[in-house]
Amino acid sequence: MFEATARNRRNQSVEGGFRLLFLWMTCMLILPVVLILGVLIYRGGPAISYEFLLTPPTDGMTAGGILPALIGTVWLVVVALLASVPVGVAAALYLSEYAPDNRLTRAINLAIINLAGVPSIVHALFGVGAFVIFFRFGTSILAASLTLAIMTLPVVIVSTRESLQTVPRAFREACWNMGATRWQTIRKVVLPNSISGILTGVILEVSRTAGETAPIMFTGAVFFSPFLPQSVLDQTMAMSLHLFVIQTQVPNVPEHVPFGVALVLISMVLAMNGLSIAFRVYLRGRKKW
Amino acid sequence: MIHPIRAGVFALAAVVAGCAGNGEATRDVIQNKGSDTLVNVAQAWAEEYAKVTAETAVAVSGGGSGTGISAMINGTVDIANSSRRMTDSELEQARANGHDPIEYIVGFDALAVFLHEDNPLGDMSLDQLADIYGEGGTTERWSQLDVAPPGCPSDKIVRVSRQNNSGTYFYYRDAILGDQRDFKLGSLDMHGSKDVVDLVENTPCAIGYSGLAYATEHISMPCIRASEGGDCVDPTVATAIDGSYPISRPLFMYTAGEPEGAIREYLDWVLSDVGQCILHQKGYAPRAVLDCS
Repeated sequence: MFEATARNRRNQSVEGGFRLLFLWMTCMLILPVVLILGVLIYRGGPAISYEFLLTPPTDGMTAGGILPALIGTVWLVVVALLASVPVGVAAALYLSEYAPDNRLTRAINLAIINLAGVPSIVHALFGVGAFVIFFRFGTSILAASLTLAIMTLPVVIVSTRESLQTVPRAFREACWNMGATRWQTIRKVVLPNSISGILTGVILEVSRTAGETAPIMFTGAVFFSPFLPQSVLDQTMAMSLHLFVIQTQVPNVPEHVPFGVALVLISMVLAMNGLSIAFRVYLRGRKKW
Repeated sequence: MIHPIRAGVFALAAVVAGCAGNGEATRDVIQNKGSDTLVNVAQAWAEEYAKVTAETAVAVSGGGSGTGISAMINGTVDIANSSRRMTDSELEQARANGHDPIEYIVGFDALAVFLHEDNPLGDMSLDQLADIYGEGGTTERWSQLDVAPPGCPSDKIVRVSRQNNSGTYFYYRDAILGDQRDFKLGSLDMHGSKDVVDLVENTPCAIGYSGLAYATEHISMPCIRASEGGDCVDPTVATAIDGSYPISRPLFMYTAGEPEGAIREYLDWVLSDVGQCILHQKGYAPRAVLDCS
């Protein structure tokens, strides 16, 4: 009774074809990730040791470890987070919870989109002009981290605003109807229910901050520094720049060292991402709705 | 519910406090930036100087001579490294900003011409180089130099050069072409000396140039004649010291004003026999003949 017509069969085979095509494309997406990780582990793995992680470079950066770069990257990321998270979350709270839909709000939204589109090297030049020279921070962790913070602000704002908006409006209305103020509502209802999304944004920012090279190379990261940084006004080595210089500037670096540095850098980022996923799962488990 | 945030904030605060708290006595930080030619020596100096005194930290950055000089003009650096002399207009700009640059010659560098290791050419003159690199020069093919490099069937000379904020770029241009003539278009302009060497190592048709210190085993360096029929001199540290190699140049460090304190001590150490021997080990020529064995 419902025998397949020629047309049905043709539709079905076209359907199957597209399914395979899309599946293939999706698999292609995984391929680079697997290849990159595979190459890094295969070629960089032999370089990794406790000594590599915990000692400074020696012999003209051809031997020894990467400790100053590792610590330097942690400094840069932490200071950038301290600057950008409060500003970003506050801005997102305003835009999501307070802002009326007027010309100012639209201008702010436009500014955020444009800020996200500015190339990182332009942020670097801005950082040199503003923080290094105008504010007289000199080339320092502070200047580099503030540059990174400005660069990653849009990520924090957009992801925070999106996670604030996943909290149903009914929650807020219920709270207001009990006589709570806007701030009480935000603190007791909106933030607790959106914290997992906010944290995801923060961790995305960490990943991006740790890997950036251009914004820090003129503002605070150095080719070599024999000691660990002691304050935010010191300059520091950083993983991303270290990878760049040993690959392009330093002669006679053993071949596995740049791969080792890349492997450590990507492991840091993946570990942060893993942490964010674990944290999100934990918080989602506690969600009551 | 809000505890995760609080925990996070406390953790961050603890990390920052921990990092800030582990400092011993405060130390002087010398900011040293500039020439890519000098950056590896500058790094070696900084590394060794950390063993001499723990009270001074030398932070080294590269970027090119132009980068160091503009940092000197802007006053964001204590010592600028340069593989060329500051120009009069650069000196004026620095003085206008209140930084009077003082010049130190910290060593000499022989600029070697690099060829692929299979390239049979072992002997070149400055005129030949000018004809290859200079605007209006007619040498485009290896056969014009009477060689046929193996692995280079196209016969075309692949010219490798440097980006134009490189001191090496300016010095080579002046030494080969004089200060009036410019480079031919169409060269591959690399970002660092190591990139030049890497490219020439893997390109049978290529010719490049950089500081002698960047030479590797897989590269051939022809001897250079200052004039047609003159002596052909190999690029070595010895020929750079005695001045017989025709493309050898001084390397500079600039300080803003007469240096004092930690910067003075560091420069004295760089110019001492110990500092000069480190320079020698890195493949550069010290300011005077000295025994580093």
